[in-house]
Amino acid sequence: MFTNLTKLDLLDKKCMSDAGSPKLCMKALPGEGAERSCAYDGARVVLMPITDVAHLVHGPIACAGNSWDNRGARSSGSQLFRRGLTTDIMENDVVYGGETKLKESILEIALRHTPKAIFVYATCVSSVIGDDVNKVCEEAEKELTIPVIPVNCPGFLGDKNIGNRIAGEVLFDRVIGTAEGSDEKIPLSINLIGEYNIAGDIWGVIPDLQNLGITLLTAITGDAKFEDLRSAHRASLNVLICSKSLTNLVRKMEIKYGIPFMEGSFYGIHDTSETLINIAKALKDPDLLERTLVYVQKREDETRKTIAGYKALLENKQAILFTGGVKTWSMVSTLAELGINILAGGTQNSTPEDFQRMKELMDPSAQIIEDTSSAGFLKIIAEKKPDLIVAGGKTKYLAHKTRTPFLDINHGRKLPYAGYQGMIQFAETLTRTVLSPVWGLLKQDFPPKEDEQA
Amino acid sequence: MENCTKATTAWLNTVEYKELNFAREKLVINPAKACQPLGALLCALGVEGCLPFTHGSQGCTAYFRSTLSRHFREPVASVSDSMTEDSAVFGGQTNLIDGLKNAHALYKPKVIAVYTSCMAEVIGDDIKAYLGNAKQADAIPKDLPVALANTPSFKGSHITGYDSMLKGLIECLATPRQADKINDRMYVVPGFDTYTANLREYKRILKLMKVPFTLLPDNSDVFDAPNLGTYQLYPGGTPLTEMNDALNAAKFLFLQTFSSPTTSKYLSGLDVPVETLAMPIGIAGMDKFIESVAKFTGADVPEEITFERGLAIDAMTDSHPYIHGKKFALFGDPDLLIGLVTFLLEMGGLPVHIVCTNSTPTFKKAMASLLASSPYGQEATLYANKDLWHLRSLLVTEPVDMLLGDSHGKWAARDANIPLVRIGFPITDRVNLHRSPIIGYTGVINLITMITNTFLDEVDRNSTEAHFEMMR
Repeated sequence: MFTNLTKLDLLDKKCMSDAGSPKLCMKALPGEGAERSCAYDGARVVLMPITDVAHLVHGPIACAGNSWDNRGARSSGSQLFRRGLTTDIMENDVVYGGETKLKESILEIALRHTPKAIFVYATCVSSVIGDDVNKVCEEAEKELTIPVIPVNCPGFLGDKNIGNRIAGEVLFDRVIGTAEGSDEKIPLSINLIGEYNIAGDIWGVIPDLQNLGITLLTAITGDAKFEDLRSAHRASLNVLICSKSLTNLVRKMEIKYGIPFMEGSFYGIHDTSETLINIAKALKDPDLLERTLVYVQKREDETRKTIAGYKALLENKQAILFTGGVKTWSMVSTLAELGINILAGGTQNSTPEDFQRMKELMDPSAQIIEDTSSAGFLKIIAEKKPDLIVAGGKTKYLAHKTRTPFLDINHGRKLPYAGYQGMIQFAETLTRTVLSPVWGLLKQDFPPKEDEQA
Repeated sequence: MENCTKATTAWLNTVEYKELNFAREKLVINPAKACQPLGALLCALGVEGCLPFTHGSQGCTAYFRSTLSRHFREPVASVSDSMTEDSAVFGGQTNLIDGLKNAHALYKPKVIAVYTSCMAEVIGDDIKAYLGNAKQADAIPKDLPVALANTPSFKGSHITGYDSMLKGLIECLATPRQADKINDRMYVVPGFDTYTANLREYKRILKLMKVPFTLLPDNSDVFDAPNLGTYQLYPGGTPLTEMNDALNAAKFLFLQTFSSPTTSKYLSGLDVPVETLAMPIGIAGMDKFIESVAKFTGADVPEEITFERGLAIDAMTDSHPYIHGKKFALFGDPDLLIGLVTFLLEMGGLPVHIVCTNSTPTFKKAMASLLASSPYGQEATLYANKDLWHLRSLLVTEPVDMLLGDSHGKWAARDANIPLVRIGFPITDRVNLHRSPIIGYTGVINLITMITNTFLDEVDRNSTEAHFEMMR
């Protein structure tokens, strides 16, 4: 939905109350729109990609019915995570409580679906009716041989970011560091935090890590296996890829397990190289660093050569960029790599640092989109008349109505864009998007104006 | 404790597991239903200038919007009043009042349709009283119509929410019925229908039959809006003048049975003549619709209609060998299932497994009598209130030739190695299916095309060289 709050003088102090979150992340006002999802969704985003566990939603049909298998996280092994498991809370449960139903559901799943663990998501309704999800999980766990992990993330807690954080806490408290055996650090090993393997992103990065001799212990949580997550504390380095909301997780892992962390991005040639080099530096292995410097140069050259044809086609196109998190700044350099100018950039769900970084990378003449709502978005499209829009799926069909080529770079996309390999895919897809003949057709007046007929 | 190691994928395909699966009572796996407010939203978008407004948590609305947007590939306008933890404690009145104020100021709707999500219902928010207070406090103009519906998702499903919102909209917008002001219009209610082409087909047929009509609600131009270069927030819907006069209707014709019982009962109670037909899928279903309209107008059925009916029957004769005797599994909403089974029986197709997550006792009866009416219905079992995981067990233990249902069925179909023909909601992995009608005589042709050609694609893909040929 679109809105223009600045004009309405609705920006009172109340809307700034989402503790710790910057203005860019501020809470939605009642009636302003429905761009934001909820804490529950935020927790699902982080935990759902764990492949070999069961994700049980203790809520009415809405929460699971509308969200089972709704993101493009991919698995190389178990597909159990896709199963839409819910207690489907009904009126009787609202009246009498849903704890018995929940416990029976947990036991049924453990018995018949062989999960490595069960994550149990509380929702608005289960919380308001007072079901003690923690207690039920604890009781069920006693009867089982697998962990049953409550995730207390009712949607009413607030925005998606809060749910991301809760999920991070859950992983830290209940999963990471629980593996039996050695706790020793594994040399040259890393975790990728906030990488969810959307469209198989991670598979475009792993070959490069392998070629350099870096071991990916696990992503948190793209294509993750539960056992690997339990040993995540053995990594030598945490690389925070997306979602600053998991900063709490990496900080805690640093304190408890002594794992240093760094930020990085695998979007675009420049950022991929920089991240690989920074990983090598952070792992403090001179030999690795040397190899990496040579390797990234080679990969950069190869990739640039491959995308040269696309670049020629995209050069000097004018774009509007609207995204969140790490992609905010990472996409700026990715688009620049293809010779695309950014007319305006905006962000949602990003931290001030992300935002600042984006601002610094953009041409000073580029406009910062202050009104990040759909109204602001439509207004800026009308003003700037960009050749393309790069943004998340929610604005896709709005953009299409303005006859502007659009590329979805969030979780609705179908193709992987991470790493050097992803850059080639990105360039290819963007070219097909921008140069599609349909845009030309849309721009023709019909019936033709008289002077054009002649 | 039972031996857990047995629970392998292969074991999930056994009859032994099927029995255990059907003994499952509490847990739901892969549900084939959405929630009440989603249906309410779909209904509200079918009224001119109407802004759908969720009173509840914001995440719910984000889900509805993304589900609908992925199905129709259109922007979906709606707002939420973003209830949070403190609203759960103190009630959602402040959110509702602020929300109405902001929404009205920002989006200038002609009508706001307020429906509730679970949280508001559990804490017992009195939206009617809150609305009164909102107007009292001048948060919105006193004459701004605001329709209300209670739509907790822990009761019923999306079709229940559609029904409640429809009643709420009529209650809010229509002036009382007056004996001397009865109009000449037939108000036609399509029901929870996610085929914009179905709605357009209804309108086309009704125009052909020269009947004064109002399609209520009509979201066809909202969910299938032309690309004219600018985004329209309110691209269409049932005109408000016709909404105002709804209770003075000469007649209300409901084209689904299970998605509107509350509204039809409400209208009957106000002495509005009401007729309810099954969703007109298949020849017999469409015949009843045409006959009903012809009876209303008192005119003969136009030749064009007879011509189109002839085309459909001709298509049936051309392709009967491809469907006659084939076994089908189906899942979906009650009205859609009645329609599809009607069609299959007409073609000699054998419905075998019918799964309905949002079944009701009246639906069970209606389906039983439909199946009993045909020799081709004898192999069928209706699995009421079961989910797609039950369906999976059925498909792998008692195989059929094809599955009919929405995109959620693709996992079960893949596990059973049978084709899925996508009919229903949501369809998020194919394009344009909502742009071809499945109702009416044209719908008969379209269904035949989809089903038959899918079978034939399978034949070609799997055929040995010896049997690969031009003619099928």
